[in-house]
Amino acid sequence: MRDAVYNLLSKSIDLYVALRDKIDPQWSMRNASRIEEWRLMAYAFSRSYIGLLGGLIVFVTIVTAVIGPIIAPQPYWVYPVIENESLRYLPPCIPPICSGGPLLGTDEWGRDLLSMILYGVRISFVISVVIVLLGVPIGILLGLVAGYRGGLVDESIMRLTDMFLAFPGLILAIAFASVMPQRIRDILEASPPLRDFLSAIFGLRPQEYGQLAALISVWVAMVIVWWPGYARIVRGTVLSVREQPFVEAAKLLGLSTSKILYRHILPNIISPIIVMMTFDLATATLAAAALSFLGLGPQEPVPELGYLISKAGQFFPEKSLHVVAIVGSILLIIALGWNLLGDALRDVLDPKTRRSLEFRRRG
Amino acid sequence: MGFGSFIARRIITFIPTIIGVLFLTYIIAYAVPTDPVRAWVSEKLTDPKLIERIREEYKFNAPWYEQFAFFVTSIFTGSLRDPVRHTNVFDEIKTRFPVTVELALVSFIFLVAISIPLGILAALYKDSWIDFLVRILAFFGSSMPSFVLYYFMILIFFSWLRATYLAGIPMISLQCMDKLNNIATTYPVIGGVIASIGYVPLFGGAMCGEWDVVSETLKRLYVPALSLALLNGGFIARIVRNSFLDALGSEYILFAKARGLRRFNVWRHALKNTMVPVTTILGLSFGGLLSGAVIAETVFNIPGIGRYMYESIMRLNFPALIASVLLVALIYVIINLIVDILYAYIDPRIRY
Repeated sequence: MRDAVYNLLSKSIDLYVALRDKIDPQWSMRNASRIEEWRLMAYAFSRSYIGLLGGLIVFVTIVTAVIGPIIAPQPYWVYPVIENESLRYLPPCIPPICSGGPLLGTDEWGRDLLSMILYGVRISFVISVVIVLLGVPIGILLGLVAGYRGGLVDESIMRLTDMFLAFPGLILAIAFASVMPQRIRDILEASPPLRDFLSAIFGLRPQEYGQLAALISVWVAMVIVWWPGYARIVRGTVLSVREQPFVEAAKLLGLSTSKILYRHILPNIISPIIVMMTFDLATATLAAAALSFLGLGPQEPVPELGYLISKAGQFFPEKSLHVVAIVGSILLIIALGWNLLGDALRDVLDPKTRRSLEFRRRG
Repeated sequence: MGFGSFIARRIITFIPTIIGVLFLTYIIAYAVPTDPVRAWVSEKLTDPKLIERIREEYKFNAPWYEQFAFFVTSIFTGSLRDPVRHTNVFDEIKTRFPVTVELALVSFIFLVAISIPLGILAALYKDSWIDFLVRILAFFGSSMPSFVLYYFMILIFFSWLRATYLAGIPMISLQCMDKLNNIATTYPVIGGVIASIGYVPLFGGAMCGEWDVVSETLKRLYVPALSLALLNGGFIARIVRNSFLDALGSEYILFAKARGLRRFNVWRHALKNTMVPVTTILGLSFGGLLSGAVIAETVFNIPGIGRYMYESIMRLNFPALIASVLLVALIYVIINLIVDILYAYIDPRIRY
């Protein structure tokens, strides 16, 4: 298993190197040490049980998110309970004990819970990835500029960051998420291609654009809340890297500021950021679910995981224990996958902790 | 730069932060596409004259900077009124914030009681089952959706054990409240401080000898407090563990061992240095608890400041939102400052 993972990672590195060499023939020669380091990382990662478990969970999450809405046996927009009242909150039916019923039971509207989860995982996954991928670059950029430029620029960016950090994050997100849906709805109404594109990403039907607007407002609100933490950390790291001789040398060579930032400073601070992003994918998944739980995300019929739990919470625990337990465990597992992966990456990306593995291999 | 001027500088940089927070809140409120006044008045009372009067009172017809100035001045004169509940916003905060303080304190006690012993044990017995347990707890706490944990805590402690209750919150008696108000008016500064501590039912009950208020409060709050502590305890225990291990591996510990100190005394030396990062993280999490646990307060039905802010947003009640956000931001900034000062006090190498 561990060797298989190492082989797979090593093959992908080879593939990437071959690709770069096609574009620029000398690339692998010039970057030989970097490629060697990647191999070491791949090796260290394949020896970490936590990393393998996390990677497996993340892989399953991604696969579920991609194919979930396609393979879901029941559509989320049909309410079987209208035809048959007894379908409401059916308990799970796992084969050896019982047969014929829905595997994980049904929700308030008699919909198959398994299908709802397949839709919900896509929504949760997309929203967490987008929050992190959009929020982090803003934070990195502002942190880089503030740390490198110093002076008034630094002071004003950091005051802005302080301001956002002084605001309790969840409250700020709730506030933004509550004022935006109307506007986003107008935008979506005005441009059908955008609407179709976004609903395809989330695995929803285009006619639910009202709910889509709520979902996107959660997403935008979280991006607004997300960047300050990164800005502060990046600035701190830049301050310490900025004084090092290689930055002086780059300055003396007459390189432009953007080139120094991008080529010389960013690579030196990127590892902790990657680790933090991995952890934040867990946090973002949970935070987006929490906003939906509070009623700020999409409403009926969209099966967002947090919203499913909040609906089931009204009948907790008599009828809906299974919904809270199952959907809750799904959220727990998704977040756990990212957290385990992040924990392993922290060890793998840090040369100090990786070195012990490096020596073990050579010896 | 000396210590005094460091504090002075920090306090000066507060001011733009606080003004910025106020302005940000105001922008959010202003960005609401619907008319907030319509949301405030109930359907029966939609007399156009009344709406016009409320509009006038909250300066909705004036340009935005006058409106903003109105909010700021009425916050600082304490005359801001809650348009939904028709009470003074500060009276509302005065009854709700103490509840959040209680919850934060009880939760903080659990947090310290869980994380510090576990962290130290995990460091002393590295790679043992207790280290593993701390690791699991940390992963669990950072991956668990908080509301799911709350539901299961309710299931265990309320539905099964019947060991807590979920309605209302104990308050101190009116006589006790009068007593506290008396103290506040007779002794200007110290009395005010004592009275505001007493407004927290947990302490007020103890001051007036109303012990049933204290015990009922604890019975009401220990489940949410424990849940909050479980969510953060593992993470903080890991920090305690790692920094204790760092300290144990340092040269002065080697020296202390070489001098033949007893094991316990060696640990005491290491513990002192462990406390530097731990104080920071504990201080910040206490600040986080004080700014209101919105989800916990919603699920456990606790009328604290977090839920007040949440409800204010949902009802477009932004006079209340602006006032409570200002309070929370002030607390955050002050706690940050206290943490920084403690940091410099514990570790004299750090001076700004």
